Amino acid sequence: MSVSLFKDVVKPIATGFGITLKRLSHKKETVFYPEQRREQYPRTRWRHFLTRYESGLERCIGCSLCAGACPARCINVVAAENTDEKRFSPGERYAERYEINMIRCIFCGYCQDACPTGAVVLRKNFELADYKRESFIYTKEMLLESFPGEADAPWVGEYEEVK
Amino acid sequence: MAAVASETVNLVINDVEIAVPKGELIVESVKRLGLEIPIFCYHPRMKPVGMCRMCLVEVGFKQPDGSVRKMPKPQAACTLPAQDNMVIFTDTEMVHRDRKGVLEFLLINHPLDCPICDRGGECPLQNNTLFYGPSTSRFIEVKRHAHKAFPLSKYVTLDLERCIQCGRCVRFTEEISGDSELAFRFRGASMQPSTFELRDFTSKFSGNVIEICPVGALTNREYRFRARPWDLETKPSICLECSNGCATWFDYRVNRLVRVNGRTNEAINEEWTCDRGKFGHEHYNADNRLTVPLIRRGDRLEECDWPTAYAAILSAFGVGGDKVAMLAGSSLSNEGAYLLNRLFHRKFGSANVDYRRTAHTLPPDEAAGNAPTAIADLELKPSILVFGNSPADDIPIIFLRIRKAWFKHGARVVVAHHGETEADSFADVVLRYAPGTDADLAKGLVAARANDAAGVAQAAAACGVDESRIREAAALLGENTAIVTTDSLLNSASGADAFRALRQLGGELNRYALGANDQGFADLGLVPGPDGRGTAAILAGCADGSIESLWLAGADPFAFGDRATVEKALEQVGFVVYQGTHKSEAMGFASVVLPMAEPAEGDGTYVNAERRLQELRAVLSPPGEAKAAWRIGAELALRVGMAKPYFGAKDVAAEIFTQVPAFRGVAFGDRLN
Repeated sequence: MSVSLFKDVVKPIATGFGITLKRLSHKKETVFYPEQRREQYPRTRWRHFLTRYESGLERCIGCSLCAGACPARCINVVAAENTDEKRFSPGERYAERYEINMIRCIFCGYCQDACPTGAVVLRKNFELADYKRESFIYTKEMLLESFPGEADAPWVGEYEEVK
Repeated sequence: MAAVASETVNLVINDVEIAVPKGELIVESVKRLGLEIPIFCYHPRMKPVGMCRMCLVEVGFKQPDGSVRKMPKPQAACTLPAQDNMVIFTDTEMVHRDRKGVLEFLLINHPLDCPICDRGGECPLQNNTLFYGPSTSRFIEVKRHAHKAFPLSKYVTLDLERCIQCGRCVRFTEEISGDSELAFRFRGASMQPSTFELRDFTSKFSGNVIEICPVGALTNREYRFRARPWDLETKPSICLECSNGCATWFDYRVNRLVRVNGRTNEAINEEWTCDRGKFGHEHYNADNRLTVPLIRRGDRLEECDWPTAYAAILSAFGVGGDKVAMLAGSSLSNEGAYLLNRLFHRKFGSANVDYRRTAHTLPPDEAAGNAPTAIADLELKPSILVFGNSPADDIPIIFLRIRKAWFKHGARVVVAHHGETEADSFADVVLRYAPGTDADLAKGLVAARANDAAGVAQAAAACGVDESRIREAAALLGENTAIVTTDSLLNSASGADAFRALRQLGGELNRYALGANDQGFADLGLVPGPDGRGTAAILAGCADGSIESLWLAGADPFAFGDRATVEKALEQVGFVVYQGTHKSEAMGFASVVLPMAEPAEGDGTYVNAERRLQELRAVLSPPGEAKAAWRIGAELALRVGMAKPYFGAKDVAAEIFTQVPAFRGVAFGDRLN
């Protein structure tokens, strides 16, 4: 079998580079992560947040339904009673401790479904890597949004977004 | 223990023919077929009232021509006794529609705060609504509002909004506990269970209403918001707060006890608990639990390891003989007590071991065989004499049986006590004698039975009870009488004489133990031998220096002894081993402190007041380095070369079964020989 210089060597190379040349004019899909980050899909489920009412009170009432619904058994809720002096949520009950083990979590969103007050929501913050196992236990302080509506704000990266 | 019904009738339930005892309630007959009728107000242990209408069924009667003629309207199955030719339908369209209607009505005023309700997840109203109820409600008006979380007592919270007015709690206090503390106020939708004038709900059995409430209206204040049912793990246990040994469920979360519920054991507690048992287990979670062995260095107790502690103990107790002594506390398991007892008798050569905490004691030959009547048999006795104790305080579950004997089977009850008791309310005769005259009254009763007028007059004068009352009481007693006394009678100076007199009275004389495993200690022989000293003599011996080393095995002498005596004894004695679960005042005198597990934190067997042997398997793990009583005993036995190693409480129990005559051939759950 003889090798033809043009048909077997030049033509395939030219075809290949031709595709490359053609692609150079296309819109770029890659982003310079982490300097740039892509918009997430609308129903993406990543990091949990505990939300607040407009009044600033916590929505979470410590009912533990999220823990009951969780297939990975990664939520731990310890409830306590509100008093008029120390009020965290409307009604009688609030979550004194609320912990999610992010290593166990499978991000199914059942907790969000089960929540009767819409307190726990899964948002688009996906950068959850860390160096120590212990730091994957997200406590109530970490999960609770600092002001009402923080967790509902559109997700934006730290840097410029690519359209 | 219900009497066997002689007559049966034939029913047809959903096209299945079945013979049931005549007069049986349809709600019970249906269960025989494995069917379920939703209920709220009906409770098998209480009289039916038909308040909630949840159990509606269609009822018809077979006609002579073979057809079935239905009643035009549904009937409540909980108040309907079975009759011949009855035809019951539990699965027709009409029944399902009626159930939906009843539930829709019940939910008119019931708030939908299930997520924060402690009953949520184990709530009969939730379950019945899910299975039988409508999916939506047509009710859009404002619901009834009331004070949420009203503290009815130290233990019980009342949420009036959630109440569905089934009356279970009210009927419990009327029929079972007998204190009638709860009643309904107002009428209609505003009807609410309440104590009289909203005073504290002080019943000694108040915890039961929490469990029988079919909604979250009555909830447990200690368990409040501690966990949801799906957070809990649960294991069977027995309550060791008193000698009754009730069956319980221990609910725990992350190795922490969160609540105790009654578990059905027809032989002992049926399904009830007393408040001491239901709410008295908080010491498991106490902050002052002992977790590491401590040893005295100078004037301080320092942490040490177990071998160091054992070595110090064995060298101090090496003197042996009459110079060492042990006091056992009531919650030691049979295994722990048996091993320590053997260590003292065989290794230290000492007979100075005792568990009794009463001021006086009976000589060994009179102390034996002290509980001939089983708790369940009490309710079939024609007459019961309660002598020298308040059963609701000493033996609460036995008190419920005594009351049931009167309430359900019409037993005649005589109560003889120097103070007021709960049993007075249903007693035929109450003999209120002067404190300390127990023996006089007992002799008076014997004299009255023997028609000895002079004896009765003499006794009446001595104990301050009217002669006619003594005669009246004696007339009610007979050979079938159960006489109920407890060890607390021995705190009275004339208690021992009273026992001797009561023995002549005929009937079954019971002296129920007070401490959790006191009866077990008695059967194991954890009492001073002929040349040994009893509790009082041991404390005296510590004070005068004749005892050099004292072992407190779960016992806290400050809890039962005279303060000055105990203090002097613990100060004078050279070496004190404090083997206990919690820090306490007595620990301050200790030379070595051994942390012990609570009963439910280790395996063990226990003997209750009616001499029933029960097994308790570990529910929780002990805190820190604490060890179960049997393990401490086993490790010491191994150290002194007394035995082959024991690998579990079962090995020790097996030895007890072969070595101790009373335990020979007894299965768990049976009474001792």
